[in-house]
Amino acid sequence: MLTYIARRLLFLPVVLIGVTLLVFVAMSLLSPYQLVSTYIKSPEELKNQSLDDLVRKYGLDQPAHVRYMNWMKNLFRGDLGYSVSASMPVKEAIARRFPATIELALFAVIPVVFGGIWLGTISAKNYNKPLDHLSRTFAIIGWSLPDFVFGLILLMVFYGVLGWFPPGRLSMWADTVVLTGDFVRYTGMNTVDSLLNGRPDIFWDAVRHLIAPVITLAYLWWAYLLRITRSSMLEVMNKDYVRTARAKGLTEKVVANRHIRRNAMIPVATVSGSMVLGLLGGVVIVETVFDYKGIGLLTATGAQQLDYTLILGTTLFYGMLLVLINLVVDLLYAVIDPRVRLE
Amino acid sequence: MKRKLFGLFTVLLVFCLSASVFAFDPETFVYVAGAGGPQTLDPAACYDTASGEVLHQVYDNLFEYVDGQLDAIGPMLATEVPTVANGLMSEDGRTLRVPIREGVKFHSGATLTPEDVQYSFIRAMLADPAGGPMWMFFEPLLGVQTMRDVIAMAGGSGDFADISEVDADVLRKAYDLVAATIEVDGQDIVFNLVDPYPPFINILTTGGSWSSVVEKDWMIANGAWDGSPDTWAKWYDQALEDMTLYDKANGTGPFKLDTWDKSGAQILFSRFDDYWKGPAKIKNAVIKNIPELATRQLMLRAGDADAIYVGQEDLPQVRTLPDVVVVDGLPQVTNTVLFYSFTIPVEGNEDLVGSGKLDGNGIPSDFFADTNVRKAFNYSFDYDAFLQEVALGAGVTPVGPIPQSLPYVNTEQEYYTHDLAKAAEYFKQAFDGELWEKGFEVGIVYNTGNNTRKTALEILEYNVESINPKFKVNVVGLEWATVLDKLRSASLPVFVMGWLMDFPDTHNFAVPFMHSTGTFAGFCGQGLIDLAKVEFDELVEAGIKATDPAEREEIYFELQKRYVDLAIGMPFMEATTHRVMRDWVQGFVYSPAYSANYDFYTVYKEQK
Repeated sequence: MLTYIARRLLFLPVVLIGVTLLVFVAMSLLSPYQLVSTYIKSPEELKNQSLDDLVRKYGLDQPAHVRYMNWMKNLFRGDLGYSVSASMPVKEAIARRFPATIELALFAVIPVVFGGIWLGTISAKNYNKPLDHLSRTFAIIGWSLPDFVFGLILLMVFYGVLGWFPPGRLSMWADTVVLTGDFVRYTGMNTVDSLLNGRPDIFWDAVRHLIAPVITLAYLWWAYLLRITRSSMLEVMNKDYVRTARAKGLTEKVVANRHIRRNAMIPVATVSGSMVLGLLGGVVIVETVFDYKGIGLLTATGAQQLDYTLILGTTLFYGMLLVLINLVVDLLYAVIDPRVRLE
Repeated sequence: MKRKLFGLFTVLLVFCLSASVFAFDPETFVYVAGAGGPQTLDPAACYDTASGEVLHQVYDNLFEYVDGQLDAIGPMLATEVPTVANGLMSEDGRTLRVPIREGVKFHSGATLTPEDVQYSFIRAMLADPAGGPMWMFFEPLLGVQTMRDVIAMAGGSGDFADISEVDADVLRKAYDLVAATIEVDGQDIVFNLVDPYPPFINILTTGGSWSSVVEKDWMIANGAWDGSPDTWAKWYDQALEDMTLYDKANGTGPFKLDTWDKSGAQILFSRFDDYWKGPAKIKNAVIKNIPELATRQLMLRAGDADAIYVGQEDLPQVRTLPDVVVVDGLPQVTNTVLFYSFTIPVEGNEDLVGSGKLDGNGIPSDFFADTNVRKAFNYSFDYDAFLQEVALGAGVTPVGPIPQSLPYVNTEQEYYTHDLAKAAEYFKQAFDGELWEKGFEVGIVYNTGNNTRKTALEILEYNVESINPKFKVNVVGLEWATVLDKLRSASLPVFVMGWLMDFPDTHNFAVPFMHSTGTFAGFCGQGLIDLAKVEFDELVEAGIKATDPAEREEIYFELQKRYVDLAIGMPFMEATTHRVMRDWVQGFVYSPAYSANYDFYTVYKEQK
């Protein structure tokens, strides 16, 4: 097992160099004057400046391979460069925005994954019965709804009308405490930091801000997991060993939990892994609608503004995340299915 | 289990209901802007409105527009406005003496001195970050545009890759040239201008973030230029993020910068109680950036925002909201213009110029160099339809490149109207009738996302194509980055751009629109540069040096007439602006000169 993990981790730098090289090749297709749009973001900002001076100042006229080598050299010194669109070093931008995304993912992962599996199990157990149709219809409506539409509906009802779940990560009063008071940021996650600072009021405020995006994510993604769980369970339910288990006289509960669900979990684990990756990668639309400043919005803004240092930095980060989460999923296979051996 | 779930649900409901919603906090003003926060908080580099909005609250200038009125300049950190009459301006207009107010405190607690004022401007000039606003000091004080030009004046080469290549003696001479322009004399600051420059006082007035006054000692303690004549190059043209004031501030303004929360895209301010005019009415202020309009709108309705940014095209959405006030028709000093490129590269530009020949399938390089073509296009545009249907009446049709709210604009100047008969007449004369016979196909460009400009071009497209079936106009949307790239090589046959004033003087429009070295000439090809040298340069340069208003009027009237007669471009909109706020917001003062949407010093909240 350890050898397997080590081998996979050794592969990590190759993947990272590959993805960053790919991004750099794509960026090198842009001219220096296209890249300078990072610094002059709109026609209104095009004042008395010389574009050539800006190109020269930021080294945008250097050949792409020179810029890539410089970037690599800095990378080895732990410097990912400066992001103009985030107004801070790339490393700092990721370090500040990622905890917000982790926090959202942590709150979302239980309702998303377990809710989806639960709904899928209900559907499978009540195959072609009204409950199956009901749960599938409910989930598929969510899947069909554009995320920004559902998010906006939630925001309008729960914030605009009821005033319960406001956008952003914290209310203004709490933001003021966190940003200007003695509040210590240990993790960057407001719920955790507020408890560590002994501020339950800020904890509740942070939770209030998380509920609507979590409901949105959960509802939108349940259908996907429901379908996978349902079909996988239906397939397993017809296996000989399930019939044997029932013939042995085991209760339906034991058959369902031990013999069916566990064996049906392998494809679910694969899908859940990609869902967790999706959550950790940031959900741009949900972050936009709820003004939840996570890493997804950071990356999208950087890409819109051709902020290539940020794009490279986040690509590197996502690459790392992808490899590590896939590794965890592979390890989970072995836990779920004893037949899987990692060697 | 069910009981537990019910209990949990009840707790959640109580918690939600007990949460403070629809709160009214009379001491905090929250403005929620759209996408795009400040680029820098350093006055030497700040040249965008989002950054200017922050600096407006934190710093003071030497002068201010009284009640925001552009024609009423009063003292701010100065105690008097220099005029020839009060003896503070020399007869020739080249020397200005500015007495500095005593007893003014910085946020740090230090007291303002004339040395601080001198340091503020000299540091900013020596820093001269590329793309920054410091040309506004170089032009009046030294007759050049950049520190590179000053180095060239000092005997060096201005074309260096890195300033370390420049000889130390040259650097010292360059410093001396800059330092000689601003001197301290007792409690006064003396500006020595190279030539008379009537709007120089405007450059030093509120709204000019570049002329914010900083504290010398605090700056040095925080790592800025140490004031030595021999070390300044170390701080020359730094990357924005390396500049001392990039994300911190210490001014004499009514609000202190608490924090620029970049990851949260918000800036928090608190009242400066020792402000020399007396403390502001509100205690805290926040500027947040939220790109999504629906979210901003809900925040306004909930009272979490006191004012929000809403684009002109979205204004109808908020007009009917309860308890929301829309203040519109606010005049701006701005102009939106359709430009023609006089020399268009053909190779590699086929998507816009087609065959590159006058054969009905494209346009030749010099297509818009023919005045008849430009006039025909100008007569093809339906100005009224655009103003009423697209801009929803928010503005006026121009009479030239200089906005009518500025002085020295001939509002009686005969201008183009929507007249397809005249347009056809000019098209027939173009290229000795060949154009009318063969037709043409051209791509005209807007930057994607700007739907107002897209619609303007579609109006032009519709009308031009209706004149002759052989005329084909394609409206092309390009990403801003590509537009920028094509502007640099003057490859866009037709494009739309706007210009928002830096300071309220005719000169600030005459240069970019008409001078051969102006911002737009370079984007319109060598043909326009050559024409501008003959038709405009001399007059533009004379206009800024003239101190007699009658003489200036004569010069700018002539420039306007030539621009219109030659149909250099097609100015088609002088837009007004608007503000959207809750009805409890009081004390709103508007000035076209301010970058700030709201002056936190004057606003306050009073629940109705």
